[in-house]
Amino acid sequence: MKITIGHLYPDLLNLYGDRGNIQCLMKRCLWRGIQAETIPFELDDKIDFSRLDIVLLGGGSDREQMLVCRKLRKIQKDFRAYVESDGVVIAICGGYQLLGNYYRTDQGMITGLELVDMYTEQGEGRLISNIVLKSDLFDMPVVGFENHGGRTFIKDNRPLGKVLYGSGNDGKSGCEGVVYRNVIGTYLHGPLLPKNPQLADWLILKALQKKYGPEVSLEPLDDTQEKEANDYVFHRFVK
Amino acid sequence: MWREIKKDGERRERVPAGYWGLEDMKIRRLLAVWAAKLSGFACKKMGRQGVTWAGKIAMRIYPPILEELSREVRRDIFVVCGTNGKTTTNNMLCSALEAEGQKVICNHTGSNMLNGVAAAFALSAGLNGHIDADYACIEVDEASTRHIFPAIRPDYMVLTNLFRDQLDRYGEIDITMNILEEMIRTVPMMKVIVNGDDALSAYLAMDSGNDYVSYGIGDQVMESGTSEIREGRFCKCCGERLNYRFYHYSQLGDYECPRCGFARPGLDFDARDVTVGDQIAFRVGDRHIVAGCRGFYNVYNILAAYAGVRTAGFSGDHFNDMLKHYNPENGRMEQFRIQGVSIILNLAKNPAGFNQNISAVMQDPAPKDVIIAINDNAQDGTDISWLWDVDFDRFGEDNVKSVTVSGIRCQDMRLRLKYVDIPSILEGDVEKAIRDRMKDGTGNLYVLVNYTALFSTRNILKKLEGELK
Repeated sequence: MKITIGHLYPDLLNLYGDRGNIQCLMKRCLWRGIQAETIPFELDDKIDFSRLDIVLLGGGSDREQMLVCRKLRKIQKDFRAYVESDGVVIAICGGYQLLGNYYRTDQGMITGLELVDMYTEQGEGRLISNIVLKSDLFDMPVVGFENHGGRTFIKDNRPLGKVLYGSGNDGKSGCEGVVYRNVIGTYLHGPLLPKNPQLADWLILKALQKKYGPEVSLEPLDDTQEKEANDYVFHRFVK
Repeated sequence: MWREIKKDGERRERVPAGYWGLEDMKIRRLLAVWAAKLSGFACKKMGRQGVTWAGKIAMRIYPPILEELSREVRRDIFVVCGTNGKTTTNNMLCSALEAEGQKVICNHTGSNMLNGVAAAFALSAGLNGHIDADYACIEVDEASTRHIFPAIRPDYMVLTNLFRDQLDRYGEIDITMNILEEMIRTVPMMKVIVNGDDALSAYLAMDSGNDYVSYGIGDQVMESGTSEIREGRFCKCCGERLNYRFYHYSQLGDYECPRCGFARPGLDFDARDVTVGDQIAFRVGDRHIVAGCRGFYNVYNILAAYAGVRTAGFSGDHFNDMLKHYNPENGRMEQFRIQGVSIILNLAKNPAGFNQNISAVMQDPAPKDVIIAINDNAQDGTDISWLWDVDFDRFGEDNVKSVTVSGIRCQDMRLRLKYVDIPSILEGDVEKAIRDRMKDGTGNLYVLVNYTALFSTRNILKKLEGELK
């Protein structure tokens, strides 16, 4: 089996250790004997979504997002078709905001990819903190770090989790992130995946099942160190 | 609020707190200086923390103290800003000016926020409450420029570089740049001494409209890793991707924008014939500079200090002498020898700095042990995701015999190493980690720590040095 990860615009969207998310997905495949490769795309590259099994859209500064969004319209149609056919996407921070309809900032309006019916508006001050979630998708809590000026409103969509510590999407609703088909959007970096191995495996499994059929399952790995790092954050901030 | 003041020994008078008579101000200022000295003395045992307290107390007693004392500096005030190299550059610049026979005020310990800077001035004032100094060399935290620049109105600013650092505190590197540019513009007579190899810093200097001179390393010295995280790869003027003739490290190098023509400025202080090993040597113009320290990044620190002293109008004839005796003892590549074990302590607090540290460690071909201590206190940055932007895989080489992870976030560090296939020993207690590796290690130990771990680790090593003579 083989997984191909498309990393969208690492040149511009590479804040906050996104590299760790790629490294984590790659290693967790390779440790199981699943082949894995990552294709980084630059702004002017043509993207053939049919070749990709997981798409990673990382975080960037507001200015960099503005640069990206000018080009994103070109791939919007293909990207949408990929999502609607259950393609796997992990979108973090700035990338999460870009999933929606728009991000309204002081500097102007950033048009989103309109992949998920949600939107973001700049709020007063930035929400910066360690963050802990409880998600229905996993037994382990989801832990990470958030740092965002935007407040995201996901309408009727399903959130990734309930906020146990930190601010989340808008600092008020008590929810964080979004799950739509096989798309996960979230403000959590830290990076997200190494300390949340169940989330990483969810992405890998969905990608493999889409490609090789629903009977595919994942061999368990020794996640002692991952669990201890996750546990540390959970106990320090929640109980 | 009202307060009572005594007049003529007898009569008491009530005046509004905002009103201070001239005599009263002088007394307050004296009091502030004395109180700072007293608390500075009392807190000496507390190390760096004590300095900040002294400044806080002085500012509380007499708020304009920083403004007034800084005005008494006879010649010029230098500030040093930038993500990495502030403390080393500032201390070297101070020593270089002293070597030219000048009296200099300096915040040596790297307390670079408002209270720390106020303390540097208050503590160097005489008991009469006045300053006796020709120059001041003050490193300033980027965000704190907003409070410090209006008070001290610097004459020169050394801008070392801008890398991602403490994004949890500053939000984004763009925000830091906006603050710096705004503050540079509030002091239009200030001359900027800028690292021309950094497109972000050079852009700030050019765009601010202030006069500037630049320093840099003209030609490529060594190959730079291809996977390194680089900031500002896109032109700040027009958004186009910058073309690089080469990189020194991170985004430092020789760049040019193909669209708008923004490019590395002509280098007024250009380091040539650079060699880096157990010592650093290079040439600027017809001056050969030699320093007994490691690490390619130190070329920039030395060069910046040299550019500073030259820009201030000195010949720099005593610069090499200064370097010969330069021993900062501040945990920057600081060497200890305890019971036959060589221990080098170094600060590594962001990806660019850490990558340079790893290069310096790996330049030593001998077998070695490495301890990495990572804290996530407010001063370190509470967000430790930057660990994943550091190229730790280079510790996978055979001569690294063991890696021990320590500090508050040792679990995160262990996980980081796991994903580049480097097993590590977990020991949250730094002292125990050091003692263990002294016992079972190679006798060649590198201790890399981030900000708040630096002072405690240095104290531990000092203690062991005394204990295990």
